[in-house]
Amino acid sequence: MALNPACLSFIPMLSPFVDGELAPNERVTVERHLAVCRDCTGRVADLRAESAMIRHGLDLAADEVDFKDFATKVMARLTPYKPPLWERVQITLSEMFLYQRKVMFASLAGAAAVLAIAIPTLVIGKSTPDGYARPMMAVESVTTEAGAKVTPVVMTNEKGDAIILMVSTEQQVEPPAPAPQDKGDEGQKLDQTKVKGGEL
Amino acid sequence: MATDDLTLVKRVKTGDQRAFKLLVERYQRKIYAVALGMVKDKEEALDISQEAFVKVYKYLDHFKGDSSFYTWLYRITVNICIDALRKKQALRGEQVELDEAVKMDTAEANIGALGSRLGTNPQKSALRKELAEKIQQALETVPEKHRAILLLREVEGMSYEDLSRTLEIPKGTVMSRLFHARTKVQKILSEYLELDESKSGLGNE
Repeated sequence: MALNPACLSFIPMLSPFVDGELAPNERVTVERHLAVCRDCTGRVADLRAESAMIRHGLDLAADEVDFKDFATKVMARLTPYKPPLWERVQITLSEMFLYQRKVMFASLAGAAAVLAIAIPTLVIGKSTPDGYARPMMAVESVTTEAGAKVTPVVMTNEKGDAIILMVSTEQQVEPPAPAPQDKGDEGQKLDQTKVKGGEL
Repeated sequence: MATDDLTLVKRVKTGDQRAFKLLVERYQRKIYAVALGMVKDKEEALDISQEAFVKVYKYLDHFKGDSSFYTWLYRITVNICIDALRKKQALRGEQVELDEAVKMDTAEANIGALGSRLGTNPQKSALRKELAEKIQQALETVPEKHRAILLLREVEGMSYEDLSRTLEIPKGTVMSRLFHARTKVQKILSEYLELDESKSGLGNE
C-alpha cells in the first residue's frame, strides 16, 4: 500500500499519542491530522488493538500459572538479610517516628522531665548556701530586733561547731482559754515559746 | 490500605522477611508476564522470575530508594532475560541483535485491520486464544531490547519517563524503540488476521 507522504511525519507520533505521552501542542497537531486522515485513524485503532491484545495475551498466559507456591519457593532461596547496625538503628528510629509517634513523644517528655529535675539538683545543689545541714559554719554576727526580748540558745556539737538560735522570751498574749487540766507547767511554757531565728 | 513498596523495603532491611514475601506476591504475576514475553518458555520464565526476586533481595543494600522499587525490579528482570537470551543465542551460534539497527518499516500490511477485527476489547474476540499464542510468536521476532520496552509498557503500563529510568536510556530512544516494536508486532498480527480471514472467508468478526 502506498504511503501518503503527509503521514510520514505523523506515523512516529502515533505510538506516543496512544500512550498519552505527547506534549499538549503535539497532541493537538496529531488530532487535527487524524480528523482528516483515514489511514492514520486506522493506524491508531491498530495500535490500540495491539496494545490491548499484548496485555490480554500475557494475562491469559499468567492465568495458566499457579502462583500459590511461588513466593514460598522464592523465600526458601533467600539468605536472611542482615543490614549494618547503624542502618538498623536509623530504620528503627524512623519507623518509631512514623508508627509509634505518641509513644516516642511520651518517652521524650518523660526524659525531659527527669532531666529538668536532675540538672538543677546536680548543678544548683552545689551552690546551696551554707545552712543547718552543713557541718561547717562560721558565725559572723548575731543581731536581734531593737527592743526584742530574746535569749540566745547555743547548740554545740562534739567538734565544737555551734548553732545559735535566738529564742523570744516574750509571752504571747493569748485570749483567755481554759487550759487542759492535765497539761503541766513545762508543756505550757514550751507551747508559748516562739522561735524567731537569727542571722547566722 | 496496602503498605507501599518503600515501606516494605525498609521493613525488609530491618530483617522482616514477611515484608519481602508481600513484595513478591505483589509483583510475581507481572514479573512472570514480562519474563514470559521476553523468553517465551513458561518454565524458563518462572525460573527467571524467581531469580529476579532472589537477586533483588540479595542486592537490597544497593537500592537507595531514589527510584521506584518496581522500576528497579523490572530492570533486574529484563537484564536477567536479556542475559538468558544471549546465552541461548551464543549456544546456537546466532548473531546478537543490534537493537538500534532496525529500519523504519513503512510497508504496512492492511491498515486498520487489527483495529476493526479486534477492537480494544480482545476478551470479546473469538480469536483471543489463538491470538494470545500468536502474540508470543510476534514478540519473538522483535529485538530483545525493543521487546523489553514493549512489554514493560503494555504489562506494567510504565510511562516513558519510568521506562527511561528502568532501562537507563534516553526518552527519545524509548519512543523510537517502542514505535519499531509495535510496527513489527502489528505487521505479524495483521498478516495472521488476513490469513485467518481468507481461510474462514469472514470479513468481520
